[in-house]
Amino acid sequence: MSVITIDHVTKRFDDVVVIKDFTAEFLDGEFVTLLGPSGCGKTTMLRMIAGFEKPSEGTISIDGKTVSSKDVFTPPEDREIGMVFQSYAVWPHMNVFNNIAYPLKIRKIPKQEISERVSRILETVHLSQYEKRMPSELSGGQQQRVALGRALVAEPKVLLLDEPLSNLDAKLREQLRFDIKEIQERLKISIVYVTHDQSEAMTMSDRVFVINSGVIQQVGSPVEIYRNPVNPFVADFVGKINFLKGTSSNGRIVLDGMDDTLDYGGPLTGRVEVGIRPENIHIVRDGAHLSGRFVTEYYMGEENDCRIRAGSAVLRVTADAETFRSFGAEEQVGLRISDFLVFPEGSEDGRGNE
Amino acid sequence: MKREKRFYFDVKWFLILAVAAFLLIFQVFPLVFLVIRTFFREGSFTLEGMRRIYTYSLNWTCLKNTLITASLSMVFGILIAFPLAFLVGRTNLYGKRIFRSMFVMTYMVPPYVGAIAWLRLLNPKVGVLNVFLKNLFGLSGMPFNIYSIPGLVWVLTTFYYPYAFITISRAMEKMDPSLEEASRISGASPLKTLFKVTIPLMLPSVVAAGLLVFVAAASCYGIPSIIGAPAKIYTVTTRIFDYVSVGSAEGLTDASALAVFLMVTALLALYAADFVTGKKDYITVSGKSVQPSTVDLGKWRVPLTILVILFTVIVIVIPFATILATSFTVNMGKSVFTPGNLTLKYWNTIFSRKSILKSTGNSLTYAVSSATLGMIVCVVMAYLLKRTNVKGRKIPDFLITLGSGTPSVVIALALIMTMSGRFGINIYNTAAIMIIAYMIKYMMMGMRTVTASLSQVSPSLEEAARVSGAGWLRGMKDVVLPLILPSVVAGWFLIFMPCFYELTMSILLYSDKTETLGVELYLYQTYHSQQTAAALAGGILIMVTLVNVLLSKLTKGKFSI
Repeated sequence: MSVITIDHVTKRFDDVVVIKDFTAEFLDGEFVTLLGPSGCGKTTMLRMIAGFEKPSEGTISIDGKTVSSKDVFTPPEDREIGMVFQSYAVWPHMNVFNNIAYPLKIRKIPKQEISERVSRILETVHLSQYEKRMPSELSGGQQQRVALGRALVAEPKVLLLDEPLSNLDAKLREQLRFDIKEIQERLKISIVYVTHDQSEAMTMSDRVFVINSGVIQQVGSPVEIYRNPVNPFVADFVGKINFLKGTSSNGRIVLDGMDDTLDYGGPLTGRVEVGIRPENIHIVRDGAHLSGRFVTEYYMGEENDCRIRAGSAVLRVTADAETFRSFGAEEQVGLRISDFLVFPEGSEDGRGNE
Repeated sequence: MKREKRFYFDVKWFLILAVAAFLLIFQVFPLVFLVIRTFFREGSFTLEGMRRIYTYSLNWTCLKNTLITASLSMVFGILIAFPLAFLVGRTNLYGKRIFRSMFVMTYMVPPYVGAIAWLRLLNPKVGVLNVFLKNLFGLSGMPFNIYSIPGLVWVLTTFYYPYAFITISRAMEKMDPSLEEASRISGASPLKTLFKVTIPLMLPSVVAAGLLVFVAAASCYGIPSIIGAPAKIYTVTTRIFDYVSVGSAEGLTDASALAVFLMVTALLALYAADFVTGKKDYITVSGKSVQPSTVDLGKWRVPLTILVILFTVIVIVIPFATILATSFTVNMGKSVFTPGNLTLKYWNTIFSRKSILKSTGNSLTYAVSSATLGMIVCVVMAYLLKRTNVKGRKIPDFLITLGSGTPSVVIALALIMTMSGRFGINIYNTAAIMIIAYMIKYMMMGMRTVTASLSQVSPSLEEAARVSGAGWLRGMKDVVLPLILPSVVAGWFLIFMPCFYELTMSILLYSDKTETLGVELYLYQTYHSQQTAAALAGGILIMVTLVNVLLSKLTKGKFSI
């Protein structure tokens, strides 16, 4: 059953279209991520679900009730949802307990029950020792847990998260990522998560909505969008990729500026764009598809990131550190391509090769 | 889940519209009417009113006096304020904190108190300082005569230079120190850096500060009426007052023509000040920020400190001490320390005489009402400005700024002409007209502090309350108001204080029942007993000091004036 239904929603600020004809259904208990670059409209979409923005057109329903349409508008306080903000938005004049208890106080829950429910939530977000602390005495990660607790305490069916981890440092981010996922599975709550960080989207989501310029580019599981991106934008935004131009005919693709060709069994003919993920390029002695010259390498611990010039392009290639040891600058190498993606040329903008 | 409504009645918008309506009716309409009244008579456009100003010599003289005194005060104000601001803000002068708060505090003292003090000091016949200097140097006559244009300029300057001081020192404190450091590293000496970098960078705020002093001096009523009138030196403000007292139709036309002239001059000057500084930041509370590097005065440290002390003694200590001394003196011809000349009776009077108590009560009521209503307006309008994206959300802020820039006499005159029943509203001679006038003139102080603090409260704090289930009003009460409370308190006092001792508008608007403290003091000074007036002024001085300390304590040092 769908818990949020978004039906042909468009949002304009003055004349600028921020969200264009957005239609989606988020299922009960599902972890959905809206992923896209900054300014793509994902936060605006989330704020329309929350009720902080009114759609210019279209309908939004939460839990079967229309909350936003041409004739109906339910203000945020009546939507019974939880939300965690990018800036935490933990009230600096209330202690941890009062911050988390606030939604229950608004709902006029008896005192005894409030304190029970708050302690339970404090445990959930690992803050049991901190209920008397003021927000200024907490670290960023702890503040974000308070915000999470406050969003969960009224047991909403839907939890909205607006880039909740982007202000935290890398270690904390990973920890909280895990915590959020765990809480979601335990409470069986639906989550709409907004981020521009593809690794957050990949690790937590059941489904990812990739958005660019206010338009949904692709919907799918993390594996689907990584393996089968529908256009170069998605391919580029989710993961790393090299783009090369070429011409497809008779089951082969001739790459521009190179003598080499790739075998291709797909339907596209004519001018095409070939996307190759760095991990699908292998440096080999025999059976190479492309030849190139070694440019430089970046040591990154478990693997190396290196640049190899092939024709006029510089390709990004990753492999284990040992592979590169033996090469010097401008040394001739052979490249074998184990997998690649093909798009019609000029099919979607917004991509950029490194 | 609660109701789903088609057009849900929104408290927020109701409040915003109510406040906007208030501003339209009581500020925009009267001022517009005043302009129309000046240029249109019997339905057609005429320059008759303006012509009368230039042809009627008495009007023309007033205009000249105003322009001359205001311009001179502006020049002297800057010449005093700039070095002071530099010494106090950027050097290792001794006791600069104390100096700073003393200069800033003068800003909160009603100017007429200065007029009273200097009148007593430099009266051409019995002025205390005059007599002292005459005896000291064995002069044949009195060295100074306060009843003159220079006298007027002196008092205006000593009471309005703080406007310039505050503006310039704010700019100095905000200046990016790396700009000066870049000059030093390029090889310039500290002095060269001062003239080549610091002063040019300060120029816009110096210009703005000068224009502020100009407008304040030109709009002042208390000083020219107490000092100028006995000397038969009339200015635009005192002239308007005379016309209104006479009350004839012709007189009102002249008054409104003069008022429009004054208003246009003031607003143009403020607009120019705004333009050169590039932001709306005329007169606001002192905000302490990180101090740029201090200049070592070296061997000049002691002499300059002495010079500043001397200035402080002449401009602040002597006048204020005179006020207090006068309030304890039986015979003003003799020193307060002459045996038998010391008395407490005037202080007794001000705490016992019924009329004074009544006026004080009135002032307190009006000031509390203006401050409270004013802060409601300010909070709502600051919210409109910072938290909504309605077209025209900047207009109320603009109107509030405009109101504060409009000379008090002009506001009072405009209200008299429109709110006396001619257009269905008759609040003339009531408390309401006073409160409204005060609000129009002084709300900006509150607006500035609230806007500044609201822009530091992230909108998501309020949104978090909304998703937690709180309606707009509840969210305001639980989250927004507690967070901006210090600034609301500060703003309240910043409106309260000038309203409490207001003179110019009160004296045009008061009736038997609505006499205020400022009016009472003025009448005592002019007609009855200068000692009683001095006691009242002394009381006001003490109160200003106390309020300032209280404000500083209440807001944990974040605000003081």
